Amino acid sequence: MLENFSFRTIVEYLPLFGQGFAATLWLSIVSFAGALAVGIILCAMNLQRSRLLQLPAKIYIDAIRATPLLAQLYFLYFGLPRLGLVLPELVVGILALALNSGAYIAEIIRAGILSISRGQVEAGIASGMTYAQRMRLVILPQAIRVTIPPLLGQAIVLVKDSALLSLISVAELTRAGQLLASDRFMPAEGFITTAACYLVLYYGLKSLAAFSARWLGVRPIGSRT
Amino acid sequence: MIEFRGVNKWFGALHVLKDITLSVEPREVVVVCGPSGSGKSTLIRCINGLETIKDGDLVVDGQRLGDRATNMTELRTEIGFVFQAFNLYPHKTALENVTLAPIHVRKIPRGEAEASGREMLAKVGLGDKFNAYPSELSGGQQQRVAIARCLCMRPKIMLFDEPTSALDPEMISEVLDVMVGVAEEGMTMMVVTHEMGFARKVAQRVVFMDAGAVVETGTPDEFFSDPKTDRSRAFLSKILRH
Repeated sequence: MLENFSFRTIVEYLPLFGQGFAATLWLSIVSFAGALAVGIILCAMNLQRSRLLQLPAKIYIDAIRATPLLAQLYFLYFGLPRLGLVLPELVVGILALALNSGAYIAEIIRAGILSISRGQVEAGIASGMTYAQRMRLVILPQAIRVTIPPLLGQAIVLVKDSALLSLISVAELTRAGQLLASDRFMPAEGFITTAACYLVLYYGLKSLAAFSARWLGVRPIGSRT
Repeated sequence: MIEFRGVNKWFGALHVLKDITLSVEPREVVVVCGPSGSGKSTLIRCINGLETIKDGDLVVDGQRLGDRATNMTELRTEIGFVFQAFNLYPHKTALENVTLAPIHVRKIPRGEAEASGREMLAKVGLGDKFNAYPSELSGGQQQRVAIARCLCMRPKIMLFDEPTSALDPEMISEVLDVMVGVAEEGMTMMVVTHEMGFARKVAQRVVFMDAGAVVETGTPDEFFSDPKTDRSRAFLSKILRH
């Protein structure tokens, strides 16, 4: 079986995979930064008492979570131009990933904040802290610690979801695999290489999370390192 | 210092505070007791606005709660509140716990806040625990840090909500000793507790509550040895039986 497997072709296509890898990496970073911003805003709206702010956030989050990313991507790519808004593929792709992941991140952050006990909030109130001070000094430092692992999970999902951008001809990793597959009729070589690249990204993210955890001084609360 | 005039409060249909009229003078120590669900915690939580009242007047340190002119955030810096569950900040060391509000709320320079924080922790007997996290401390030690955290704000009033109820018996006295010390320095205090020894030692008055109303008030001696009402007698017989 392996006599048909051409390592030479893979080596020949490595520059293309290098470009794809770089593209997937940076568009994932930009999308994730956007998703964090979207998530923080949505979560802030969702935690307000005012229905006027809460309701749009809830509807948005539900709408995103209830529909496939591919449908959202196609809406932005094929639908928006029909409505008069033409954007480059790459912008559409990043926008789709950021808007999609943002909804999930909003829920992750909200769960982190709500996991902090009412007693912590009351201790802050009783010592005369304002809402902003309580958030900054008491709630968020504790919430970040519980939020990092699920945020990492979401980042990994985002990197894998970015494969869908190959369908709107963004030149990223999966697209590189498709090109090799269709140029040389070698889907095995093409997609195994693509998969290997994603694996590298996955381990990169994992070690980044471990590093940031140490950098933020994250430890099981109260235990000393 | 604290004055309730005809205060009422409801949780939904439940009438939790019924026409409370009660005042606490400066430097006075008042112990509040009563069966669980009688509204004693709610009563003192109203004083710093952790609960809001429905009608009546509640005047604290000359300011009427609920008035536009009353800045609750500012008023709370004058009122220390000690919780049953301590509520220390788990991500902060003991010293950081006691200096957080002085630095960020009182705007005291860090060095000065830390010096008085160390002094206060030493005073409650934790001079060797500055860098310990709450999870590394026993319940009694955590509650003493919580008391020091309040004292570091130099409050005019201290409120205690069942400060020893969550503690193992052998740790109760170390916390009560600290509270006696605070009382003897002339702090105005309202303490929800069933610790009669503490009440006899430092309280000028005991307030007995039942079903949301103040049923009886008196000096600790009067109240514990000669309760006036059936309800207070029934209550005392239950807590004194063992």
